[in-house]
Amino acid sequence: MNAPIDTIITAETPEGIAMQIRPAGFAVRGAAYLTDLGVRTAIVVVLISALSAGGHFGVGPMFIVTFVANWLYGIIFELLPAAATPGKRIFGLQVIMANGLPVTPAACVIRNLMRVVDFLPLLYAFGVICILLRRDARRLGDLAAGTLVTYRSEVAPSGAFGAGAPMPSPVALSARQQAAIAAFAWRVPRLTPERAEEIAGLAIGPIGTGLANAPMTERLVGIARWLHGQRRR
Amino acid sequence: MTPLEFESSNAARWGELEKLLECNQRELDPERFLTLYRMCCEHLALAQARGLPPHVIERLSIVTGRAHQIVYRQSDLGGAQVLRALTVTFPRKVRAHLPYMLAAATLLFIPAVMLGIATFVRPELVLSVVDHRTAAEFEHMYSPSAQAIGRLRDVGNDWGMFGFYIMNNIGIAFQCYVTGVVFGLGSLFFLISNGVYTGAIAGYVAARGYGGTFFTFVATHSAFELTAIVLCGGAGLRLGRSLLFPGRFRRLASLQIAARDTSSIVFGASVMLVIAAALEAFWSSAAWVAPEAKAVCAAACWLLVIIFFARRPHAD
Repeated sequence: MNAPIDTIITAETPEGIAMQIRPAGFAVRGAAYLTDLGVRTAIVVVLISALSAGGHFGVGPMFIVTFVANWLYGIIFELLPAAATPGKRIFGLQVIMANGLPVTPAACVIRNLMRVVDFLPLLYAFGVICILLRRDARRLGDLAAGTLVTYRSEVAPSGAFGAGAPMPSPVALSARQQAAIAAFAWRVPRLTPERAEEIAGLAIGPIGTGLANAPMTERLVGIARWLHGQRRR
Repeated sequence: MTPLEFESSNAARWGELEKLLECNQRELDPERFLTLYRMCCEHLALAQARGLPPHVIERLSIVTGRAHQIVYRQSDLGGAQVLRALTVTFPRKVRAHLPYMLAAATLLFIPAVMLGIATFVRPELVLSVVDHRTAAEFEHMYSPSAQAIGRLRDVGNDWGMFGFYIMNNIGIAFQCYVTGVVFGLGSLFFLISNGVYTGAIAGYVAARGYGGTFFTFVATHSAFELTAIVLCGGAGLRLGRSLLFPGRFRRLASLQIAARDTSSIVFGASVMLVIAAALEAFWSSAAWVAPEAKAVCAAACWLLVIIFFARRPHAD
């Protein structure tokens, strides 16, 4: 097996299915972090100005607010069912265990406390290097806690193929070939026609012999339709 | 059955699970949810094995992935579980890590005692630890004429000090713990430096003749505070050791085990520090309480802490 060309991790569940996990990389995690920093600062500023307007308890609640915003912000939000801080939620991320299970409270505490070490020597240098060096983009806190920040996939994809009249394949196709053709036909609507035709030219192989001038994209899509049981024109 | 027939005959039930995922999790019917979840898993396995259309595989893996997160969520957050973690798991883990705790206590108390004696004998030595304004501040804080003992000048009242202790002390404890991951060096550093600081101040204040107020002030809450710092430092040493001497595990696996093992210690210690902060702000600092009453209360608190960690409610 060749080295994988993407960062998808496969985790097997007790039900015997292979879950595909997409780790979130440095850029999106950085953006989520900066958003969280903004949210945290806003919370501190708003609460402190509200409390100092009240003014009965002096500066005590301000210390507590600062403490909670610094240390407990991540823990609290990641223990909620969404398993994500507001920043992560905005960018469609969530925290899970590295084996695909939901994040445990202990792991949540560890990964957020370890932020201190990821921050060292300054400005998250350690954490950033760690994220950039690893395929699964985990910082030290994630490694110690055994967690992973992943994309949350929520939108069910449409089943529409590109255009092409159903037709049987002229040659027998292996299961892998069938899957490749189906995957291509599914992607056609999201490709430019020229690009689709280029890929189709590479993929068509023995199916296309003797058809050099016919549009190959339509042919492949037609075969995919036929394979999936759409036999009528 | 062709792939498209498979999709059209089952899509309704996939849709039902998708709709259930949007509902409030508490209102779910577990039986129906699990039936649908298992069915979708089965369909996903079928779809992958038979090369069904990619969008079917994608849709099923999304819906099973999301349901999986709900099915396997640990509900550790109920009151009963939190109480159990505090009263059973916490002391048990502390006992299991006793050598680390003793090492941490040594690292904290030996410098503290040494510096305490040093600044008691030669008070000017305190200036090598803190600057003269801080020293004067501490002297003022613990002088018997102070209205409230141990209060910073610019922090108004008991509530202010409560917040300050929470932020400061729990922050120190967390630091003692997590920096242990740097091969134990961080815990080492914070334990020793806190020992040096505390010892120097104690010796200095005692040398000024305010030892009475100072020690009755410290005695009560230190039962919780010093213990909690030692526990966090010990847990940090465990992290460091797991990296330095991973034994038969890979270093990463060893660190993960150590972190999981010590997480309840940190949780318990932070609860202890909240108790300590409350005691320190509202009880220890009260100038109207007779020193004798504070001494009795302090003895009771230390006894309580020792019993808490020594008792074994269930044989373990």
